[in-house]
Amino acid sequence: MAVLVEHIWKTFQIPHEKRNTFFENLMGMVRPNHYETFSVLKDINFQVDAGECVGIIGDNGSGKSTLLKIIANILRATKGTVRVKGKMTPFLELGVGFNPDMTARENIGVYGTIMGLSRREIDERIDDVIEFAGLYKFEDTKLKNLSSGMQVRLAFSTAIQTDPDVLLVDEVLAVGDMEFQQKCFDVFNRYRKEGVTILFVSHDQGAVRRFCDRTLLLGGGEQRAFGETEEILDKYVYGAKEASLEGKEAVEKETTSVEPKRWGDKKVSITDVKFLDKFGGESGIFSSFDPMTIRIFYNAPSIIRDPVFGIALYTEQIQHLYGTNTELKNITIDQIEGEGYIDLEIESIPMLSGRFLLTVAVHPHEGKAYDWIDKQYSFNILPVGRDVGIFEVPCRWVA
Amino acid sequence: MLTANHIHELYRYRDLILRLAWSDFKLRYKNSALGFLWSLLDPLLMLLVLYVVFTNLMRIHVEHYQLFLLLGIILWNFLDRGTSLSIWGIIGKPSLVQKVYFPRDILVISTCIMALMMTALEFVVFIIFMAVFRVLPGMTLAYFPFIFACQFLIILGLSLALAALNVYFRDVQFIWKVIVQIGFFATPIIYPITIFPENVRWMVMLNPMAQIVTMMRDCILYRTGPEPLSLVYLVVSSILVLMIGYIIFDRLEPKFAEAI
Repeated sequence: MAVLVEHIWKTFQIPHEKRNTFFENLMGMVRPNHYETFSVLKDINFQVDAGECVGIIGDNGSGKSTLLKIIANILRATKGTVRVKGKMTPFLELGVGFNPDMTARENIGVYGTIMGLSRREIDERIDDVIEFAGLYKFEDTKLKNLSSGMQVRLAFSTAIQTDPDVLLVDEVLAVGDMEFQQKCFDVFNRYRKEGVTILFVSHDQGAVRRFCDRTLLLGGGEQRAFGETEEILDKYVYGAKEASLEGKEAVEKETTSVEPKRWGDKKVSITDVKFLDKFGGESGIFSSFDPMTIRIFYNAPSIIRDPVFGIALYTEQIQHLYGTNTELKNITIDQIEGEGYIDLEIESIPMLSGRFLLTVAVHPHEGKAYDWIDKQYSFNILPVGRDVGIFEVPCRWVA
Repeated sequence: MLTANHIHELYRYRDLILRLAWSDFKLRYKNSALGFLWSLLDPLLMLLVLYVVFTNLMRIHVEHYQLFLLLGIILWNFLDRGTSLSIWGIIGKPSLVQKVYFPRDILVISTCIMALMMTALEFVVFIIFMAVFRVLPGMTLAYFPFIFACQFLIILGLSLALAALNVYFRDVQFIWKVIVQIGFFATPIIYPITIFPENVRWMVMLNPMAQIVTMMRDCILYRTGPEPLSLVYLVVSSILVLMIGYIIFDRLEPKFAEAI
């Protein structure tokens, strides 16, 4: 056991009127100040084993960072206890305590000491740090005269010299370019191999998926789930039903283009379209490469023989990505009558990330459409890996 | 609280305390090459003005009045500087409070140590003055480190309370400035304690700073050891101030990161 969090509650009291001085407080004795109480964390319980990497995910305002700060002892819990075994180092911000008027070398000394390095360790490693940051020529330059990129490199190369037992990481990876992020990942991998326990708060689900053995899901300050990363991420992506369905409605309202959105003679009408996730529940958000089923509900007042159902996919910028129909796939539907539905099963969504628009249609083999709903449905794809572009091309490197 | 445990923890953080104090100290003088000299000019100019005024106009007659005055100014400056810099010790370094954790009294302790370093420089000047005026200290100089240590504890205690209070009440710094100003005149710095009638002297001497200044002069300039009772009073009061400072600091510390 490296970190034990038991029944953590945190409430913030926010006064209606901020009294910042002794004088204001004196004057305020006459009028009592009212407080608004916010519960940021409600009864959080979990345990992290030594050498484990645990991700903490959740929407903005779910209390992720507050939880991390409580574990770091920066904020104190209103109720509950936190126990941490071994030396803990928080990476909440790079370059804490950097002073613009000191030289790069002096800043390494101060920052390194803050991060828990002894004087001897700093003396031994300072040249490596400067070398690694590529600041050999600028070691005696004042920090304020270095570019911000150099400052970040300096902070990073100093920070990674620490050898903690428990590492707390808060979105550090979100800053910096691709190359810097890659460097961060390399360092965290090294730490993991050395058996350092890592708690990792992130928005980047791809990163959590790659690094974390287990994951804690927070929502509205409550502990929604804690367990194997894959399972929790599925819960996060497909569990946020209400939010995602709102997203779906929003599309339908906001598309007010001049082009007609729907046409056809309504001999068959499409009554609804649902996106089903791998658990069979309706969702508007999917992880890349997960299965998806598009279910098209129809209503045919009288018998219709041999109808053709079709779909088309677009990017948000209305680039046509793909289209298919039952005729092209050599499926024959003899006849339909009354209400029913037809499914289109997608084994693995190839799109990498973003929002996609869907057109659904039902029409005869030849002639005018029964019902055509143009780009009125949409769903979101969350990235899993770090490839870029619209969709994955199945491929592999051979060296 | 200042338990054995906490002192042990502070000892583990000694590198950090000294590193913070030293880098602050260097920064203070770095921006101008003459920075160090400028900082000495301040007490010397004050000495000059007060010396001229009080020897010629007020006609105070004290043996070695220049040294008497300079020592008083240096000791008072130590208190003034230590506390006024420490008031900013917590709110002046938000990232060290909000983004990282170490015992937060370290921020105040290191600021007080920096003030100590600056005072040490002023003492160098004082030694030069002593040589110039041919005053040699006697065996009683042995009391100096002890009294000085007591003064450091008082400054630390005051600083802890002030730094913590200033997080929540931002006008503490202004109120404190006024108190320091009054204290300068209420403490026998420019005048000897003997200007007061015998029966009110004890009231003036309740102020630990009055004890410190008087004892320091006696043991450095006049080869007189402190009275045992005064010494006991000083030790008790300095420990008391430190304890009260820590109690206030510890009460307010948990919400520093939220209130800054």
